[in-house]
Amino acid sequence: MTFRQFAFNQVMRNKRLYMAYFLSSLFTVMVFFTFAIFAFHPAFRDGAVHRYVLFGMSVAGGIIYVFSFFFVLYSMSSFLHSRKREFGLLTVLGASSSQIRRLVFLENILIGFLATVGGIVTGLIFAKAILLIAENVLIIEESLDFYFPTLAIIVTFVSFMILFFCISLFVSFVLRTNKLIHLIKSDKLSKGEPKSSLWLAVLAAFLLLAGYGTALYVKGIQVVHAMVPVIVIVIIGTYLLFTQLSVYIIRRLKSNKNIFWRKTNMLLFSDLSFRMKDNARTFFLVAIISTVAFSAIGSLFGFHSYLTKGVKEANPYSFIYTPLQRTGEKEILEEIKQVDAILQEEHVSAKKETAVFHYFEMAGRHGGVLIAKASDYNRFAALLHKDPVFPKEDEAIIVEQSHVMMYQGKKASEILLENPLRLENGQVLRFNRIIESEVLPEVNGYYIVNDEIFDQLGTPLRSEINAVWQAAGGQKEQVIEAGRKLTEQLPIKTFSIDYALYEINKAYGPILFIGLFIGIVFFVSAGSFLYFRLFTDLDADKEKFRSVAKIGLAFSELKKVVNRQTALLFFAPIAVALVHGAVALTALSRMFDYDLTAESAFVLGSFAVIQIIYFLIVRFFYLKQLKKAVAV
Amino acid sequence: MLQLQNISKVYEGKVPFRALTDINLEVEKGEFVAIMGPSGSGKTTLLNIISTIDSPTTGTVLLDGKNPHQLGKNELARFRRRELGFVFQDFNLLHTLTVEENIVLPLTLDGVRVKEMKERAEKIAERLGISSILKKRTYEISGGQAQRTAIARAIIHGPKLLLADEPTGNLDSKASKDVLEMLVSINKQDKTSVLMVTHDPQAASYSDRVIFIRDGKLHSEIHRGESRQAFFQRIIDMLSLMGGEGRDFSAVRV
Ligand SMILES: Nc1ncnc2c1ncn2[C@@H]1O[C@H](COP(=O)(O)OP(=O)(O)OP(=O)(O)O)[C@@H](O)[C@H]1O
Ligand SMILES: [Mg+2]
Repeated sequence: MTFRQFAFNQVMRNKRLYMAYFLSSLFTVMVFFTFAIFAFHPAFRDGAVHRYVLFGMSVAGGIIYVFSFFFVLYSMSSFLHSRKREFGLLTVLGASSSQIRRLVFLENILIGFLATVGGIVTGLIFAKAILLIAENVLIIEESLDFYFPTLAIIVTFVSFMILFFCISLFVSFVLRTNKLIHLIKSDKLSKGEPKSSLWLAVLAAFLLLAGYGTALYVKGIQVVHAMVPVIVIVIIGTYLLFTQLSVYIIRRLKSNKNIFWRKTNMLLFSDLSFRMKDNARTFFLVAIISTVAFSAIGSLFGFHSYLTKGVKEANPYSFIYTPLQRTGEKEILEEIKQVDAILQEEHVSAKKETAVFHYFEMAGRHGGVLIAKASDYNRFAALLHKDPVFPKEDEAIIVEQSHVMMYQGKKASEILLENPLRLENGQVLRFNRIIESEVLPEVNGYYIVNDEIFDQLGTPLRSEINAVWQAAGGQKEQVIEAGRKLTEQLPIKTFSIDYALYEINKAYGPILFIGLFIGIVFFVSAGSFLYFRLFTDLDADKEKFRSVAKIGLAFSELKKVVNRQTALLFFAPIAVALVHGAVALTALSRMFDYDLTAESAFVLGSFAVIQIIYFLIVRFFYLKQLKKAVAV
Repeated sequence: MLQLQNISKVYEGKVPFRALTDINLEVEKGEFVAIMGPSGSGKTTLLNIISTIDSPTTGTVLLDGKNPHQLGKNELARFRRRELGFVFQDFNLLHTLTVEENIVLPLTLDGVRVKEMKERAEKIAERLGISSILKKRTYEISGGQAQRTAIARAIIHGPKLLLADEPTGNLDSKASKDVLEMLVSINKQDKTSVLMVTHDPQAASYSDRVIFIRDGKLHSEIHRGESRQAFFQRIIDMLSLMGGEGRDFSAVRV
C-alpha cells in the first residue's frame, strides 16, 4: 500500500467525517455564490435600484465572505480535531510531519476545490429557486431574470480558492505545534475549561445589564448614537456569559455530589465540562449570529410594517378624494364624477359616501378645526362597519389625533379640551368623551356634535367636500389599476391605499429580499454550527454510550441524556439570541416611536418554532445513529 | 444458576465465521469457574453472550431459569446494572469521568444515595489498592490501575454473577494475587458466581473448576481437588496437552 493509496482509503473509509466537512464548505460557497448572483444581477447594475442598495449589497457580500472564512476555518478545525488520533498513529508508525502536512494540505485543497465547484453548481440551482420566490412573493419591478452569472462564478471561484488555500496553509502550520502524546490521547484529553473567575462573571452580568439598560432607555435619535457601544458591550457580555457563567454553573453542579451523582446526571455534566471550551465558543458564535439574523429580519419586517401599517391605518378607505384648498364646488363635483368614471372603467364596484366638512376658527390652529356632524360621521362609519356615535345636544365628542402622527408635546385631545366650544346662545358644550377613530380623513383631531346644534356653531372658516369609496373585497387588481389611473389623473387630490401599498412594496422589495436573504443565511449557518458541534462528538458519544449500555443503561435513559445535552446546545444560545433580538427590536421601536411588539413577537416566535423543529429533526437522526451504535 | 444450552455463534460478514459451536455449560450458585483457551478460541464471545452484550445465533442462556435475552430493554438495563458485573478485556472506562466516578457509575444509574456510593467506592478502592488515584482522570492512570478500576466498577453493586475477561492481564503477580483473593472472597462471602477468562494458569488455579475451549468448542474441564498447587499442576498439564506448547497461553494480551 503506497502512501497515496493509504490517503485514498483514509478518505473512503471515513466518508461521514469528510462528508460533513465537504458539505459545510459546499454550503458556504453556495451561499456566497447565490448572493453574488444577485449582487451582480444586471437588474441591480442598471441603476434601476438605488445606489445605497448596491452599497448595502457590497457590505453584505463582504460580511458573508468574512463569515465564510471563519465558518470554513471552524469546520476544518473540528474536522481535524476529530482526526488527531489518526495523525498521532501515523506519526508513531513513522510518517514524517511533512508527510502529514502534505496529506492534510492536499486533502484540503482537493475538498476545497470540489466544494467550490459543487457550491457553484448547487448555487445555480438554488438561485433559480430563490429568484422564482423573489419574483412571486416580493414585488420587484425589474424582473429578476435568470442569467448566466459569469462574473459571479469567477468572483466566487477565485475568492474561495484563495480562502481554501490560505486555510489549508494555516492548518498544516497549526498541526506542527502538537505534541505526539497529545495527538494520540486526544480523544481522552479534554480541551479544558476556559478560565473562570467570579470577577469576570460579575462583569458579564454587569455588561449585559448595562447594555440592555441603555438600549431600553434611549429614545429617538439617541438610539443611533448608542447603537455601536451597546453592541460592543453586549457582545463582550455574551462572550463572558457563556465562558464564565456556563463554567461556573457546571463547576458548581459537579462539585455538588448530590446532584452530580444522581442517575444520569453524571453522564450529562461530565460531557458538558469535557467539551466546555468548544461548547462555550459555539454558544457564543451561535448566539451572536442568530442575534444578527433576528435583528436584521425583525427590523426590516418592522420597518416594512411601520411604512405600510401607518398608511393603512390613516387611510381605511379604498379611495379618498380631498380637494385642494380653494377649489370651486363645481370643479369638485366634476372631479368626483371623474373618479366614479375611472372606477367604472376599471370595473371596480364600490360604495361611496360624500360629505361637506366644515372647519371653524380655532386659536393656534392654521386652517381651523373640523367640527363634524354626527350623521356625517355615522354614514362614513357605516362603510367601515364601525360603531356610530350619538353625542347629546349639549356635548361634543373629541376625536384623538391619528396614530400615524408623531407628536411632540401635547396631544391633540389635550389641545382640543382646552378650546371651549360655544354655541351662538352662549352655551358651552361639555366634553365627556375622547375617542380614537380613523373614520374621517382628518388626522389632527376633531369634534363631533349633534346635528341639531350644528347650525348654532356660527359660520365656518371654510368648508370642503370629501368623498370616500370602499371597494368590495376580492378585486385587488382592478383596485390597484384604478388607483394607478387616479394617481396619474388626479394626483394629490385622490389617494388609493392599495396602489400606495403596492408602490411601497415595490420600492421596498429588493431591500427586504436582501435582508431576508442575509438573515436566513446567518440563521442557517448558526444551525449548521450546532449541527457540527453535535456531530463532531458523535463518535465519542457512540463509544461512551456503548460502554455505559454494557453496564446497564436503558435506551430510554440514554435518550434522556441525549435530549438534555442536545436541547441545551440548541436552546441556550438561541434563548440568549432571542432576548438580545427582543431588546434590539424594542430599541428600534423606540427609535421610530412605533409599537413593534406584534412584529417582533412574530419574527422571534417564528425563529423559535423553526429552531424547535430543527432540534427535533437533528435529535431524531442523532438518536438513530446512537441507537445503531449502541444496539449490541 | 447459569445454564448454557447448545450455544452457537456465527459472526455474519463477507465471510461468515463460526466462533462458537454447541456450547453446553452449567455454573452453580457461588461457583468460581475459569475459562481458558488459545487466543481467538471464542472466550470473549462466550462472555458477551452470557452478559447479553451479544446474542447467540442458536441456543439458550438461562440465568436462574430465566432467559435474559428475552427481557425487555429496560429490564435488560436493570438486569445488567444490578445482577451482572463485567470486567472488560479492554476496560471500557469513560474518559470524561474520574476513576471514582467511573467506579460508582452503575450505582448512580440505579439512584443509590451519594453517601453510600462514596463509602462503597472507598472500601473497594482500598482493597484494590487504588485509593490514591480516585480523583484522577483515566488518561492519567496506568493500564493496571485502569484494570483495577474496571474490576471495582464490576463489583461495587454486589452482582450475582461476575464475568471477568482477563482481569489480571495487566497486573504484576502481587497485584494479581490481591485481585484474585478479592474475587475469591466475594465469591465465598456473597455467594457471587464468578466466570473468569484467563491465560494465566496461576490465576486459573484460584477457581473451583477450569473449562478449556478450543476453536469454539468445549474441550475439557478439570475440577479443583484439595490443594491449589496440585490443581495448578494439572492445569499446566492440560494446557500443554491441548496446545502442544504453552506459547499461546503465556502471551500476555493487551
Ligand atoms: N465482531 C466479530 N466479527 C467477526 N468475527 C469476530 C468478531 N469478534 C470476534 N470474532 C472472531 O471470533 C473469534 C473469537 O473471538 P474472541 O474475541 O471470542 O476470542 P478470545 O478467545 O476472547 O481471544 P483472546 O484470548 O485473544 O481475547 C476470533 O477468531 C475472532 O476473530
Ligand atoms: Mg478475548
